[in-house]
Amino acid sequence: MSVATLSSAQASSLSKDTTPTSNEAEVTKGGSAAPPAEAAPKKLSGAELKKQKQAEKQAKRAQAKSAGPNDNPKGGAAKEPQKQQKDTKQPPKEKPALPLRRRPSQATTPTIKETKKESKEPKQGKRQPGLFFGHLYTQPRQHSIVGATKDVHPAVLALGLQYSSYTICGSTARMVAMLLTFKAVIESYTTPPGNSLARHLTSHHLSPQIDYLRSCRPLSISMGNAIRWLKDIIIKIDPATPEEEAKQDLVQDIDDFIRERVTMADQLIATTGSTKIENGDVILTYASSSVVEKTILRAQKKGISFSVIVVDSKPLFEGKQLATKLAHHGVRVKYFLITGASHAIKQASKVFLGAHAMMSNGRLYSRVGTAVVSMLARAQSLPVIVLCESVKFTDRVALDSIVGNEVAPAEELLSEKERVALLPLKPHLPARLTSKLGDADDEGKPATRTSEVLKWIEGSDNLQMLQILYDVTPAEYINMVITEYGSLPPTSVPVVHRSSTDRQ
Amino acid sequence: MPVAAIEALVEAIAQHQQLSTVAETLELLEVHIEQLKSSTPNPISLSAGTDLFQRYLVATLTRPASVNLGPADDFRAIRNHLLSNGRLFVDRAKASREKIASFGKHFIRDGTTILTNGGSRVVSALLKRAAESSTIRFKVVYVLSPSQSADSREGHQTVADLRAHNVPVATIPASAVAYSLGKIDMVIVGAEGVVENGGIISRLGTYQIGLLAKSKGKAFYVVAESHKFVRLYPLSQFDLPIKQNVLDFKVSEDEGVADVGSPATAESSGSNPDDAVDFTPPDLISGIITESGVLTPSAVSEELIKIWF
Amino acid sequence: MAQAAVTVVTPGLSSFLKSLKTTPVEPSVEHFISLLKRRQIRNSRPCAIATTALLLRVVGEFKSRDAAKLVERVRDIGRRLTSAQPREVVVGNIVRRVLGLIREVVNDNIDSDTNATNSDLVSSSQPHQDRPHLSSTISSFSPLKHAATEPTNATIHEPLSESTEFSKRPPLSTHPTSAHMGHSLFGLFLHPDTPSVSNTPTGQHSPTGKGSLTPLNLERLADISKSTTMDLKGEVMDGIRELQDELDQSDELIAANALDHIHSNEIILTHTASTSVQKFLLAAARKRKFAVVHVETHPHDHTDTYGMVLTGRKRHGEAVEDEDWKPLIAAGIEVYVIPDSHVFAIMSRVNKVILATHTVLANGGLVAAAGAAMIARAAKEHRTPVVVVSGVYKLSPVYPFDLDELIEYGDAGSVVPFEEGGFVEKVDVENPLYDYVPADLVDLYITNLGGHAPSFLYRIVADHYHADDVTL
Repeated sequence: MSVATLSSAQASSLSKDTTPTSNEAEVTKGGSAAPPAEAAPKKLSGAELKKQKQAEKQAKRAQAKSAGPNDNPKGGAAKEPQKQQKDTKQPPKEKPALPLRRRPSQATTPTIKETKKESKEPKQGKRQPGLFFGHLYTQPRQHSIVGATKDVHPAVLALGLQYSSYTICGSTARMVAMLLTFKAVIESYTTPPGNSLARHLTSHHLSPQIDYLRSCRPLSISMGNAIRWLKDIIIKIDPATPEEEAKQDLVQDIDDFIRERVTMADQLIATTGSTKIENGDVILTYASSSVVEKTILRAQKKGISFSVIVVDSKPLFEGKQLATKLAHHGVRVKYFLITGASHAIKQASKVFLGAHAMMSNGRLYSRVGTAVVSMLARAQSLPVIVLCESVKFTDRVALDSIVGNEVAPAEELLSEKERVALLPLKPHLPARLTSKLGDADDEGKPATRTSEVLKWIEGSDNLQMLQILYDVTPAEYINMVITEYGSLPPTSVPVVHRSSTDRQ
Repeated sequence: MPVAAIEALVEAIAQHQQLSTVAETLELLEVHIEQLKSSTPNPISLSAGTDLFQRYLVATLTRPASVNLGPADDFRAIRNHLLSNGRLFVDRAKASREKIASFGKHFIRDGTTILTNGGSRVVSALLKRAAESSTIRFKVVYVLSPSQSADSREGHQTVADLRAHNVPVATIPASAVAYSLGKIDMVIVGAEGVVENGGIISRLGTYQIGLLAKSKGKAFYVVAESHKFVRLYPLSQFDLPIKQNVLDFKVSEDEGVADVGSPATAESSGSNPDDAVDFTPPDLISGIITESGVLTPSAVSEELIKIWF
Repeated sequence: MAQAAVTVVTPGLSSFLKSLKTTPVEPSVEHFISLLKRRQIRNSRPCAIATTALLLRVVGEFKSRDAAKLVERVRDIGRRLTSAQPREVVVGNIVRRVLGLIREVVNDNIDSDTNATNSDLVSSSQPHQDRPHLSSTISSFSPLKHAATEPTNATIHEPLSESTEFSKRPPLSTHPTSAHMGHSLFGLFLHPDTPSVSNTPTGQHSPTGKGSLTPLNLERLADISKSTTMDLKGEVMDGIRELQDELDQSDELIAANALDHIHSNEIILTHTASTSVQKFLLAAARKRKFAVVHVETHPHDHTDTYGMVLTGRKRHGEAVEDEDWKPLIAAGIEVYVIPDSHVFAIMSRVNKVILATHTVLANGGLVAAAGAAMIARAAKEHRTPVVVVSGVYKLSPVYPFDLDELIEYGDAGSVVPFEEGGFVEKVDVENPLYDYVPADLVDLYITNLGGHAPSFLYRIVADHYHADDVTL
């Protein structure tokens, strides 16, 4: 899991008339520059993970930052933005949210953006977003910490931002990060007089954190499972237990949970999975999964001679990191984009996939594109193997990828480079659109000019970009699910799910 | 078989010198065709030849006569043509087999593994041709029936030939087809007859290979000379114009202790699985390799339509 | 391809067409070959346009009246062009069409010659004089001859003695059979040494693949053309101009079918940037409301895709001077752009998939922009009909023995930016530009001739190409 960085160029403005000033682009390297965060009280100490510390730092910074806009009267024009940008390995993903996804109340909140400054007037209800995905656009994604209530722990604030910027991405990583953060949250908790920890902690202390995280990015199935488990053990705490002891127990439980359900599970899965890799195999995988990575590396360590094909897709390009890591470990790696998937499949002999969740009807809920890859593999009669910790199993069932899914800001689809490539189109744009947009200054930095491309798309009636994050792979495409309990057919997912939840 | 039938019919015409009218000739043919058909348990490939011949005569004889020749002359001309060239037809049939072989070998790409159920001289010719070319390395999985029929002897011969050409060959029983299919790139089979909808009639077991290949997404090619096209439209396995006794339900009282599959007890021809055929529907077939090109099953229909309608 | 400069006059189709007017033939051929090699003319339509223009000029400059020489000349150029860029199958298609034209012209003239003396005999089997392709009666072409032909010259020829007999002009056949020789199934019975009158010039009836255009035959053909008064060059050039018209109009003719295939409130999925598809959808948009889901086809065509969606033209804005030409969104059609990975997720709601194509092959399969295979398969899995829109000129008579040969690979730079050079060093990046879509994934082809089932394509191929030209 990448603990990389948070790209949080922040800016805000309200009307599209306010042309962004281009001098705002100064970038401070977050790693070295002292964040103006000293003011924030250091509540948290001893977080053993580096990630944790970093997250906190981010949070503090963010908090300090949030003071600014709050001081200024809301509704002011362009703010002086405070930009913090650590050098990121990934291209920054954040783009201004589509106005129609932004609640009116949010229009005034500063949003995290990358290098572009424009913002548009929200056109409420002007058009129904997202074709038949309209129902998924109920909640706009939180890109700032301002909307958060004061109950939200700073570490959680930071975590939320890391979620929404895909800095922490992948359902296992997100769950682990959440649990680690909750340890801090629990440690900082004191039961108010007259309440018992078992009753109060969940509803009054954890819930706001969870709500906040949810507003940053919908919770993953694994996070949901972990939260359910956490609530469960909290409620089971004997009221007689002294508070400190109870808190220590909880922290210990969380550590155990992570070790048992993730660390050990991953090891078991990697061991089992690597036995399925034989000499001469060509393993195809899609996007990036930490378990798949571990499995492949395990097989590599065993001295098996095989190669790997990583199939990837925009806009996250998660597979790129996986490919780099594997190549770094000496694995022969080929890299395809999903458009070339049908060619990649022809060269492969087995398909290993990670999961976001396994549904109770045996279907796999995973990064969008997984279904395409497994379908093609099925057509070639290649075995499709899903590596999935049982913590990702869920009661939920789904038949298609439309009913339940997570939409992501569509602007992420167009990378900076792609926007630049589109600029020459300008003279060909329909006159109606150009007049509507006004005469944006043609000169100026590429950043402003590229942002214009987004405006074209947004300004065009009838045109929308769609991005969802997951799809549902039918069970019949999947030959085997490897969990820490062993290997099972997808149809047995509910069986394992029941037994593993009963055990707790 | 179809060519032999044609030879026989030509012979028959030759023996009946007194024939002078179209109707008489056709009548004679009819009689002889019936005779031929009744003398073999499986007249399908035979009828491909006889039908074609019959149709050819009908088509040519019933055409309006040309300007300078009377109908009688016309008839005589055709007859002479047929009689003098009977040998040629056979040669052509052989030539087309060679042509298919030379053409079909393009289907065998370097590094492929081919499954075949043999029993067809065309398939053997094709594989041998491919084996002779030094640039293509390929492997063959040969489905051999365990019995000692002529077919399987020929199969053994082909296998030996291929191996002599340094082509690795694995022989498997028909029951191992599904097992082996994962290692197979394409299936090539022969046919006794290619029927009107583009399906084929071939030795028992072809249909199941076709089904398996389809289910695993493997290409399934048929090699057949175009004179094997037959005017027949079977709807199912049990809609063939021949009596096959493959399914023979028995209880012990019927016939003492009849051992399953012991050919000695089979009294009616066709009950021997070695001779039995099945029908492979066109949707299982990727292409039919003929002497003049690769046809989609739908093109077969057009060919037949053209001579019969 | 995404980062090419735009305003600079890059060598390409338009510059080639311009130079064609002034440059002599031979340098033009060389010019075209180098453009093909450097991929400065690419994609089916530009290649087709350039090839027809070039051939028009080749024929125009042709000095002799000898049809055989002309055939040889065109064929020679065809060979050079196709070997320069074997994957632009369309080039070969056009060359074959022109060769077919020459044969047809010669054939028609011979027919009119022989008809004069022998009309009764041949009347029933007269090859069709009119150039437009589909004949109402059963064409004398046989799919047996056309379904596919070998990619190489490995044909087994009939014993040479037979073709020598061919060379002498046969006495007027007394054989009524000759008229029926078109039925290749009767091939077995053919008289060995009496080719019929209607048969010889093109050899289209010859049963067992005796190439009618053997050198000897060509000689004969040449004799005829010299002896008669036909205007070979003029007629062939007319034919090529007709071919140019066909190229021009093919999109409109295809689009005329649109209303038969798109009903109200459908959700149509398409991919990449194709003018054919665009016009097809626009035609439907004039009457019906529907929604379009446009797959962006990253990393090759997404820029063009957005160009198409936003402005109705590809990025480089080929000069379309059509007042109706506008983006779909301007026609009131809702367009949703999705990344390629979303195909399966979206497919359950899609009513129809409309694919653009690069080349259509004789077996009903097609070569299209990368991603087409997964779209088609996902559609098949969801029982969604797949419609392929293609001009007949993209139909190739070549049987795809080796699919890998047809697939072009692009440069890794469009997959992984060059800035990440280290990645490319460590990881083997592959970037196929095209996909092969097998015939069983396609439900319908719509060409300028109308709609066809994939299983019927062999016939369209047979109608458009001459068997002898399949191997250039």
